[in-house]
Amino acid sequence: MKPDDKKVRNIGISAHIDSGKTTLTERILYYTKRIHAMHDVKGKDGVGATMDSMELEKERGITIASAATYCEWKGYEINIIDTPGHVDFTIEVERSLRVLDGAILVLCAVGGVQSQSITVDQQMKRYKVPCIAFVNKCDRNGANPFRVINQLKTKLGHNAVAMQIPIGLETQTEGVVDLATMKALYFDGEMGEVIRAEEIPQSLLEEAKAKRDELIEAASLFSDELTEAVLEERGITAQLLYSALRKGTLKREITPVFMGSAYKNKGVQPLLDGVTYLLPCPSEVQNVALDMEKNEEPVVLANDSEKPVVALAFKLEDGKYGQLTYIRVYQGTVAKGSTIVNVRNGKKVKVGRVVRMHADQMEDVEQLPAGYIGALFGIECSSGDTFVSPGVHLTMTSMFVPKPVISLAIVPKDNKSQMAMAKALNRFSKEDPTFKTYVDPETSETIIEGMGELHLDIYVERMKREYNAEVTTGNPRVAYRETITQRADFNYTHKKQTGGAGQFGRIAGYIEPVSDDEFVFVNEIFGGAIPTQYIPACEKGFRQSMAKGPKLEFPITGVKVVINDGASHPVDSSDMAFQAAACGAFREAYLRAKPVIHEPIMKVVVETPPEFQGAVMGLLNQRRGMIIGSQDEGVMCVIEAQVPLAEMFGFSTVLRSATQGKAQFTMEFALYRQVPQSIAEKIALEVAQNKKSAA
Amino acid sequence: MIFAKMSKNTAALKREENIIHLTYEDIAMLKKEIIYRNPLTSLGYENEDILADGGFGAVMAHAGVGKTALLVQMGLNTMLRDKKVLHVSLHDAVSKVDVWYHELFQNIAHNFNDAAVKEYWENIQPRRFIMIFKEENFSVPKLEERLTELMEQNIFKPHTMIIDGFKFDEIGRKPLAHLKELAGKRAIRIWFTVHAHRHEERAPNELPVWFLHVADLFEVIVELAAENDGVFIKAIKGETPASFQTSLHLDPSTMLVKGSK
Repeated sequence: MKPDDKKVRNIGISAHIDSGKTTLTERILYYTKRIHAMHDVKGKDGVGATMDSMELEKERGITIASAATYCEWKGYEINIIDTPGHVDFTIEVERSLRVLDGAILVLCAVGGVQSQSITVDQQMKRYKVPCIAFVNKCDRNGANPFRVINQLKTKLGHNAVAMQIPIGLETQTEGVVDLATMKALYFDGEMGEVIRAEEIPQSLLEEAKAKRDELIEAASLFSDELTEAVLEERGITAQLLYSALRKGTLKREITPVFMGSAYKNKGVQPLLDGVTYLLPCPSEVQNVALDMEKNEEPVVLANDSEKPVVALAFKLEDGKYGQLTYIRVYQGTVAKGSTIVNVRNGKKVKVGRVVRMHADQMEDVEQLPAGYIGALFGIECSSGDTFVSPGVHLTMTSMFVPKPVISLAIVPKDNKSQMAMAKALNRFSKEDPTFKTYVDPETSETIIEGMGELHLDIYVERMKREYNAEVTTGNPRVAYRETITQRADFNYTHKKQTGGAGQFGRIAGYIEPVSDDEFVFVNEIFGGAIPTQYIPACEKGFRQSMAKGPKLEFPITGVKVVINDGASHPVDSSDMAFQAAACGAFREAYLRAKPVIHEPIMKVVVETPPEFQGAVMGLLNQRRGMIIGSQDEGVMCVIEAQVPLAEMFGFSTVLRSATQGKAQFTMEFALYRQVPQSIAEKIALEVAQNKKSAA
Repeated sequence: MIFAKMSKNTAALKREENIIHLTYEDIAMLKKEIIYRNPLTSLGYENEDILADGGFGAVMAHAGVGKTALLVQMGLNTMLRDKKVLHVSLHDAVSKVDVWYHELFQNIAHNFNDAAVKEYWENIQPRRFIMIFKEENFSVPKLEERLTELMEQNIFKPHTMIIDGFKFDEIGRKPLAHLKELAGKRAIRIWFTVHAHRHEERAPNELPVWFLHVADLFEVIVELAAENDGVFIKAIKGETPASFQTSLHLDPSTMLVKGSK
């Protein structure tokens, strides 16, 4: 391995589902000679594209897990993370973006900037990932790359500039005009592998000149040298132009746009050139870790292979040979045989095999220097763990993990399935922090929790396919929460002094709503009304009470407990007595504090042809949806709404039938909001019925 | 008097204690703050709506002076009075318009505690519907079609409509006259932004010449002008009661009249 990080690119390919990013990755791997045959996502040959390594992905034609792969292009080493396209897997996308230095934003030349592209773009902004764009599917009917560039500007606020113009569109797609070199590029050979550079066709010359002027004008903002060259009317070399564009791209102030059709093998190689010219190398990106010894103070990491190791495990996979841990090395070198420490649990680990992945095939290497992405074998850890050299106490910033909003009870069909299910659940919850599992102590059912219906569906199917675990699922349940709306006082005495060891504890104070925290405990007792040693027991009692509301049994959030008085007994008071007193006090005050139920509200974005706009709005309205707005885009119309998750079950089927299958929607968690009184009564009734049937 | 003082103190105390729910006093104060400082009511209009059913109003200004902000502030004013606003924009995205409302509301309500403001915002947000058209795709019949869908399916019945980005110089009188008829039929009043240009020819009534062909359709026209470091509003057409002020100084961040009344 050559540790020249100037020639390393860690990139991701992010986009809306069906924009063709998996096909694009496949073509990249073919042209970089990592694979020797190409397959389509939904391939007729039944092989499927190389990056979609999971069976299920191949069947559904979507990418679920982000397999990392490595390839070389003109002396540059490129690590590609293929990211999932569906919103339900956003945590995967976010995790990938965390380890990337740059990204290709793939957009469909027909569909343009769609709702998912907006989400992905926001994520890129959050992690400050510089990007270039690729307008794919220029061979499709209705393709218009310049409309997409315009949408990049208006919808996403990118300063998007065309690097190319197309030579023919739709069925006439022949190639592209490169505006930096002012050459027409054609892609010959059976697989488009032979690039023929020619003079620009006369019919496109004027347009090419105009677009080049726009490109130069945009780029000149980032380079004085280029501005001087323009003012002095000197010839502008491609190199000068690229160096200006690179500066802008790294600052995320300009987005160069390439175009073509991955499926028809047009425009992929110039995009790869763009990756090497315009996206950053690892040392050009500032990475920050937190110093655990200095109260999590941020520390800028040096992209230096000689320094102590700091590496992040960003993905786990259960393969034929055991757990495979994908890591990104930020500092130091992870070498075969070296010892590293998992910061989370302090365990020392000896590095066994170090590999570089190419989808599901692998290649052994001796070491991974700073800035590289690779995988380790036989290391027990969770996704998101940081590995460091012994003696180092740095951790990579914790990733933003949303709380699950939906749960599902699963029951294994037989004993064999039960074993397999346990194994699968253990693996999935390690791989995906948004996927949680537990056993309900009352019903003894195994409950899985996640970010949406599809999210859980996929895991249930993976259980069947990868682990042979046959399970039946119950109805999805929404993660309701309870909170209080007003202050209520308590003064509760727990007393059991008849026979045997007695129990005594009195607690007084009040509870009140708090907006940003889940639970706040304040001790305002002066003069020892409750001895100090019992205060933690009081807090524990209140905290325990928060786990389940006394009536509806949903978790309680947003409560501040203040204790200001109490009493104890020299003999009969104990931790247990005060814990019980706290539970009693909470019960006493809770119902007087006017509790309400909160439900998860989802941001739902529906894209539909305008003729179905009314019908779609009607559907959303029937589901207690609040329509924020509608955006007329000519061929498509986008409706944005906030809808309670409880009303969204089965929405995809209803939407399909109401729009002849022409509309699609995405959904993500937005906020928790109080449920209306009538619905709260219905929920209370359901809870009561469930309790009855469980008994 | 003492009682009033006490209730005010209690409200302040409650806010400090981080009570989530807005008290009646808080809501009343918030409403008063916005309504009192509304520059148009300050111009002397007695009717809170300013326009009658089917009425047209225009806010004219150069680019960047604050036309959208003023209309968003009027939209908020309407929402606070429990009435519904349909905001039609021909140049911004849904999210951007949403941010306009949200930020302006936050600015106005900055004296109140965050949780209370958030909850109150959630209460009034359903009274607003944002409709975005691309300028090249916009037409009055299309707007009529969408509006009919919304109203007939009982999804949203606006009381006031705001149209931001309408090209008066390109769209002739006929579509606008049709829109006025529609507004009358549906009992809606419509506010428009009018983009004025520098160094353009003005008629004796101070209106740009290219606007004259539709000027009679408007009951109220006001102009925003940036001078030195402030923004001023002046009435060009509409009521001129005794208390009429030729100009009012606005706070550029909220487009509300500077200082409480």
